[in-house]
Amino acid sequence: MSVELPQGLAQAFSVAAGELGMCCAAWLYVKDVARFAGDAGVSGLRDALGRSFPVLDAVAEKWLAGSREPHTDPGAVLGALAGTRQLVVVGLESEFLDALIPKLEGIRLALLRSSPFEVDWERVLSNYAGRVELVELERFQSWAGPRSTLLTFAYGVHGAGTHVMPAWLRVTGDDVRTQFRSLVAWDVLRAPMFVYPRWLVEVDAATFTELV
Amino acid sequence: MPPRPPHDRHLPSSAISRFVDTARIEALLAPYLPAPQERAFVVRCVLGEGPAHHRGANYVLLSLLGLVLERVAHGDREALDLGASQEVPMRLPPHLARPDDAPSYPLPLPSAPLELLARKGTRDFEAMVDCLTDGPPQHALANVAMVTLLADLLARLPESPEE
Repeated sequence: MSVELPQGLAQAFSVAAGELGMCCAAWLYVKDVARFAGDAGVSGLRDALGRSFPVLDAVAEKWLAGSREPHTDPGAVLGALAGTRQLVVVGLESEFLDALIPKLEGIRLALLRSSPFEVDWERVLSNYAGRVELVELERFQSWAGPRSTLLTFAYGVHGAGTHVMPAWLRVTGDDVRTQFRSLVAWDVLRAPMFVYPRWLVEVDAATFTELV
Repeated sequence: MPPRPPHDRHLPSSAISRFVDTARIEALLAPYLPAPQERAFVVRCVLGEGPAHHRGANYVLLSLLGLVLERVAHGDREALDLGASQEVPMRLPPHLARPDDAPSYPLPLPSAPLELLARKGTRDFEAMVDCLTDGPPQHALANVAMVTLLADLLARLPESPEE
């Protein structure tokens, strides 16, 4: 049975992906479509948007395989951040940050102002009640130090590689790698992508001090 | 005459990564860097970043110093008080310099060995510190780790051969 989806979904998803993160926006869309149109709707969503948004494609696949929620437990990340005093986050996944940030007492937090999508950064920051600062690519090294960590979101691990937002490569040049104690990736997708991973870049998992 | 090195032929980098034993250097530096995350950070800078030949050379030199220390210390690797030390600054871009709050690496440079060469506070002493701590971290921190091991060795040895 084919399900008719509303027009303009791709544009709307771009906005959601910019302000929630690709994985969180994908879960939101998949759950909403499933609520109104069941698995057939999720299949239709995957057919309509999956090639354009590979993370959405992977989340839809997970849903159809029986998965119902993203794995947002920050326990492993908290372990990787032990001893950190300053944290710069590269990329955005709102539900994951919502789970993590309340547990980061005493840690100064920054979010890199960089996204392939249009983002209203003030609106994003307003979700964190002054807890998170914005930092530009030109200035994020002022957050470097022996107790500083760079954190990004990874989208599935496949063999020795994983996928991250391109900003991660701009940030973690050879000069920066030795100025931050830890380079941590948080795998928010936990599944390999089936279609070409546009929007993302592949990196060697060994380039992180921890991938959790 | 010793054989000339083959300048036109280098071993693949995998041959270097095969002999670099990170755990060995972590254990060697543990008395000076008791916090595991700080130790891992310094060891990554020395053995895990930068050109492969530097990683390999750092490993060889630190391992050899470790062997000497093992013979001198007879298995006693309790942390000695190495005395005063100098911070090893991170070389952030000049426009981001924070004079009042400049970040530094967790392994400081012990002063004692340098004071055998130049009086502390003199221009010579400051220049020695500058030479040892400037440049990319795989150089600077390897220098500092080696001076740390030398400081430990010197502290365990008699001041003159007769003693």
